[in-house]
Amino acid sequence: MNDGNVMKGGAGTGLLVISLLVMVASFGYAASSLATHGHAAFNASSNVPWGQPISTYLYFALASSGLGLLAAIPLVFRVKAYYPIAKRCIFLAFIVLVSGMAVLAMELGHTFRMLWAIPFGMQVQSAMFWMGVLYLLDLLFLMWKFQRLEGKDWDSKAARQIGIASFLGVLLASGNLALIFGMMSMRPFWFDGSLPIYFYLTGIASGMAALVFYTYLAYGFKREAMPEPLQRLLTGNLPVLFAALLGVTLLFVLVRMVTGLYSNMPEVSLVWSDYILASPVYHLSLWGGLLLPFLLLLSPNLRVQSGVQVLCSVLVFAGLFAERYFFVVGGQVIPLFKGTWAWDIIHYTPSAAEWSLTFMGAAMIFVLYVLGEKYFNLSDSPVTTAAPETSRAATAGAGA
Amino acid sequence: MAKWGMVIDLDKCTGCQACTTACGMENNTLPGENWQDVLFYSEGEYPSGQMKWLPRPCMQCEDPSCVHVCPTRATYKDMNAGGIVFVDWNKCIGCKYCMIACPYGVRFYADEKPLVEPDLKNIFPGENGQLWSPPYQGPDEDWRRGIGVQPKGVVSKCTFCYHRVSKAPEGVADLDEDDPELVEFVPACVRTCPPKARYFGDLDNPQSNVNRLIGNKRGVRLRDETGNRPQVYYLGAGAGVPAFQRRERS
Repeated sequence: MNDGNVMKGGAGTGLLVISLLVMVASFGYAASSLATHGHAAFNASSNVPWGQPISTYLYFALASSGLGLLAAIPLVFRVKAYYPIAKRCIFLAFIVLVSGMAVLAMELGHTFRMLWAIPFGMQVQSAMFWMGVLYLLDLLFLMWKFQRLEGKDWDSKAARQIGIASFLGVLLASGNLALIFGMMSMRPFWFDGSLPIYFYLTGIASGMAALVFYTYLAYGFKREAMPEPLQRLLTGNLPVLFAALLGVTLLFVLVRMVTGLYSNMPEVSLVWSDYILASPVYHLSLWGGLLLPFLLLLSPNLRVQSGVQVLCSVLVFAGLFAERYFFVVGGQVIPLFKGTWAWDIIHYTPSAAEWSLTFMGAAMIFVLYVLGEKYFNLSDSPVTTAAPETSRAATAGAGA
Repeated sequence: MAKWGMVIDLDKCTGCQACTTACGMENNTLPGENWQDVLFYSEGEYPSGQMKWLPRPCMQCEDPSCVHVCPTRATYKDMNAGGIVFVDWNKCIGCKYCMIACPYGVRFYADEKPLVEPDLKNIFPGENGQLWSPPYQGPDEDWRRGIGVQPKGVVSKCTFCYHRVSKAPEGVADLDEDDPELVEFVPACVRTCPPKARYFGDLDNPQSNVNRLIGNKRGVRLRDETGNRPQVYYLGAGAGVPAFQRRERS
C-alpha cells in the first residue's frame, strides 16, 4: 500500500462527501423533473430523439472502452512498463461504464422493462441488442479481471486468458456501439463503415485523459508522491503515447470534417458548415481540447511536467465530451424528410434536467473512484524496478 | 391474408389537411403528433417556382428499418395484419432507435415538450397509465398494436387504422369509402379525403383498384433508394421531396 495516496485520507473523504452531495442533488433534480413533467423535462424531441444524455452515455461508455484498451497494453501485450496503470485502468473502466449506464437508465422511457424485454426479445438484428450483450460481458470481464489483480494474479495463464477475453469484449462492445450510428444509411452524417476506428481512437484518448487525471488526483497532483514505476511511466512513454493518440484522433476528426464539407449532400455538408463549425463551443473543443494538448505534449520538455499533463487531461476530457455531443446531435439537426418545408436546421440545447444527468454521471464516477482508492490499492504493480528490457518494450508499446 | 397498401394521387390532393385532422380525431393523437401529415415544399424561384405538397402517413415498409433496429421487438411487422408495422406499447422501452432509423420521420415520442401550446397533457392529465386522457376517446384500445391513447415513455405511429381495417370482410380487394358496405372499415384519412385522392386496398390481390392505379398511372414509392420498400405509393406529379436547403424567412 502506498501512503502517498491522498484519497485514503481526509482529502478523499472530503471529495467523497462533495461528490456524493452533487450526485444525490443532480439525481434528485432529474428524478423529480421526470416525475413531474415526464420526458418533457428534456429538450430532446421527436425531431432530435437523442440528446445530451445519450451523448453523455456514449462518452462514458467509450472512455471506459478506452481505459480497457489501455489496460490491454500490459495485460495482453505484456508491455511491463505499463503495469503500474493496469489496475487503475481496469477499475476506472468499470466505474465509468457503470456511471454511463446509470445516465442511460435515466434517459430511457422504460428502464426496468428493458431488463426483461431485451433478453426475451432476442432481436439479434438490432445493434442495440448487441450493445446490451457486449457491454454486460465487458462489465463481467472487467470485474473478473479486477478480482484477479486484487489477488495479485498478474501473470498466470488464466489471468492472461481473462485479459484477452476482456480486450476482445472491449473491442467488440465499442465497435458495435459505433455501428449503432454507423449502420444508419438514412442518417448520412453517421453512415460510415470506419466509424468503429473513430470510436476506438476517441475512446482511448478520453480514457487516457481520465487515467492521467485520476492518477494525479490520487496523489494530490504530486508526482513525487507516486510509486517509482508509476513516476517513471509518467515521465517516459505514457505522455508520448498520449500525444500520439491525440495526433491520430485529430487527423481522423479533420478527415471527417473535410469529406463532410466537400460533400454536396446537405445532411452532411450543412451539418458541418452551419451547425458544427458555426459553433464557438466546437471550435473551443477542437482547437483547445485536442490541438492545444497535442502541441503541448509534442514538446519533450513540456510533456513531462505534471501541470502540463494534468492540464492536457482536463482539456482532452472536456474537448472530447463536446466532440461526442456534436457527433450525436449533428446527425439529427437536418429535418428528416422535410426537404424545403423546413426553414432551418433544428435547434437543440440541453435542458437543466439533461445537464443534471451529465452531472449525476460525472459525480458518480468521483464517488466510486474515491471509494476505489480508499479500499483498493489501485497503484499495485508487480514491477518495482526498471529493467533495460522493460524500457525497450515500453518504447515499442508507445510507438505502437 | 391481404397486404394492405395505400395509393395517394398527388394530382388530386389539394393539401387541405383534412386527412391530418381526421387521423388526429380517430387516433387521439396530441396536437403536433401527426401520424398523418401533409408536408409543403417550395422549389425554385419566379418564374419557375413551384409549390408542392405531399401527404405522409407511415409507409408500412415491406422491409422496415425500424423493425430491424428495435432491441425488444416492440416494433414489428405483422404479416397476419396486412403487413402493417405496429409498436407494442407493452414492450417499447422508449430508446427511440426506431425514430433514428425511420427514413420518413413518421414516428413520435409524445412524452416530450408540447409541439403546440397549450399542453393538452396538463389540461387532460393522464389516468390509468395513459399519457393524457382526453374527454373523448375512441372505443378501440390495443396496446399490443399501438392503438388507443399511448402510455408514457413509448413511441407511437400510424397503424393504417387497423382497428377499422381489421373488421373488413375477408378477401375484399379494396376498402372504398363510396361503398356503404365497407365505409366503416376504411382508414380515417382515406375516408375523409374530400377530393378522393387516397385509395386503400390489397396489394396482393391482382384485381384490386390500388394495383390497377399503381400499374396504369406509374405509381412510385418515396425514397426507394433506402430499400425499405413502402406499401404506400404516390401517383401524379411532384412525388418527391426537394433536398433540404437553409433559407431566410421573408
